[in-house]
Amino acid sequence: MTAKISLRNVTKQFTVRAGKGSKAASGSQAGTGSGTGSGNGSKQPTVLTALESLSLDVRDGEFLTLVGPSGSGKTTLLDLLAGLSTPTSGEVLVDGQPVLGPGKDRAVVFQQYALFPWRTASANVSIGLEGKATDGRRLTRRERAAKASEYLKLVGLAGFEDRYPHELSGGMKQRVAIARSLAYEPDVLLMDEPFAALDAQTREQLQDELLRIWRATGKTIVFITHGIDEAVYLGQRVAVLSARPGRLKEIVEVDIPDRDGDEDIRSHPAFVEQRHKVWTLLHDEVRLAQDAGHRKILPDGTAPDEPAGNESTLERSAA
Amino acid sequence: MSATLTQKPAASSAPPQAPAVGHSGPSDSGQRNQGTTAVLAFLRTAAVSAGSGVWKAAGILAFLALWELGPTYLASPSTRVFLPPLHEVLAAWSKLYDAGSIQGHLAASLTRSVSGFGAALVAGVSLGLLIAWYGRLNSVLNPLLELFRNTAALALLPVFTLLLGIGEESKISIVAYAAFFPVLLNTIAGVKTVDPLLIRAAKSLGLSSLALFRKVILPSAVPTIFTGIRMAGTASILVLIAAEMVGAKAGLGYLIVNAQSSFLIPDMYAGILTVSILGLAVNFLLVALERHFSRWRTAVGAGS
Repeated sequence: MTAKISLRNVTKQFTVRAGKGSKAASGSQAGTGSGTGSGNGSKQPTVLTALESLSLDVRDGEFLTLVGPSGSGKTTLLDLLAGLSTPTSGEVLVDGQPVLGPGKDRAVVFQQYALFPWRTASANVSIGLEGKATDGRRLTRRERAAKASEYLKLVGLAGFEDRYPHELSGGMKQRVAIARSLAYEPDVLLMDEPFAALDAQTREQLQDELLRIWRATGKTIVFITHGIDEAVYLGQRVAVLSARPGRLKEIVEVDIPDRDGDEDIRSHPAFVEQRHKVWTLLHDEVRLAQDAGHRKILPDGTAPDEPAGNESTLERSAA
Repeated sequence: MSATLTQKPAASSAPPQAPAVGHSGPSDSGQRNQGTTAVLAFLRTAAVSAGSGVWKAAGILAFLALWELGPTYLASPSTRVFLPPLHEVLAAWSKLYDAGSIQGHLAASLTRSVSGFGAALVAGVSLGLLIAWYGRLNSVLNPLLELFRNTAALALLPVFTLLLGIGEESKISIVAYAAFFPVLLNTIAGVKTVDPLLIRAAKSLGLSSLALFRKVILPSAVPTIFTGIRMAGTASILVLIAAEMVGAKAGLGYLIVNAQSSFLIPDMYAGILTVSILGLAVNFLLVALERHFSRWRTAVGAGS
């Protein structure tokens, strides 16, 4: 098996403006630069290590799920893979080539759908097709619409081409987002808790659809979730991250016989056993994370929930 | 229940009781009530649908009635001269209309406000986009813009008049100045408040900076920009009328001031009425445009 994606000793640090630091940082750039408290001068920035020397290989065509406690750097990892940010040290390779930025070989599906509300479902799906394709050819409007219809059909939304996002339910929005990511035919699908905002029934339905699409298209999928059931159900392997700073704790090979059958896999003894294994691995980390009070770092480098506690006081007294 | 109804058959008291009649009708001596129930139900739905319109119109109608009757019955004779009843104003208005002078003044005012407003629109939107896109430009210009924005446009009217004379240029310029800031500031705000998630999504889709700007930032900012445009519309008329009052040979502001100094009081009110109708029309037009361009926005808050 060749590695489609390789992470080599990847470390990612953030300069965080703690406390009420959510003040207008120009949202276009990720907070890797020196955001030296430009918002509120009194607060000293803190350096947080989101990921620490993480190495991970994702095989070609694999469905890898990634679980970890809140603040373990799951989204940071996904951003690195997507090319939306760059690692502080180490390297991220896709097909042996270092990731320099977003590319058409990778697509991201976000938890909050991130559909463009002024575009219809069809126009949302075709936005990735509007630029020049890899062969330098530009698709005509009609070709784009045809392709959008094709992918909307794939996700079970045939006939909804002309609906605006606000006319769609949460599950339908996420289907559109998945269709949008698939439409420009990337090799890798990066999914950041895509089903977390959906109700249980819709989630299960979309999980099965995703597995069907994965089998049909053979994409490499990296799927972040906080649901252990979901991770074990979807993934061929489950990567468990530790509490911050995120390191790879263990990779659990999910081995459930007769997976493609009609049976209720979730009550299969093998499933229960794997689930318990992941749960045990995760449980200690979650407690660690809670004790440390780790909260989410936003993509722009702010941590609105981060209490101005231990770390930042240390920083300030040192300064 | 039906007893109270037979005691008070007045139609005015019937609608609130209609549901009660519907319940008690079949059980006790309801042969007469059957017919009235249907009529009452019809009246009720009609009243409900007409109700909102009536309530909206009620305030205006009451005001117009007060205007018509107040001067005649409430005001002292000396005040009445300066506050003619509505029908005199309307008569003056139609006389001015027949003579073609109100159209002339309206055209003069419209030409000025449209050219000033248009210039402000182009300048405000394009400069706003530039400022919002280049953060450095924003930090340099922001204090300056705050200063200018908080200087009342009319305070600068003498300056404009001194520099540009009392002709069209000074009036168009002051309208443009007044309309410029709402457009500019809302454009900046619109660009800055684009959902960062959408920007991330667009980047992950491999959009170039230019495509990101054109396909994500601009459409997402349009509703906010339109709010600014609407504010600019109101501001431009306000400032224009004031400017025309100070020095002009035509225009609605001139009409009002000139009628006042010539003691043609009904003409003055006719001018004022025209100004308020013009303001309403402009606002209505801009609101409709805003709604057209922000259709997708209506359910965004509820949808996500």
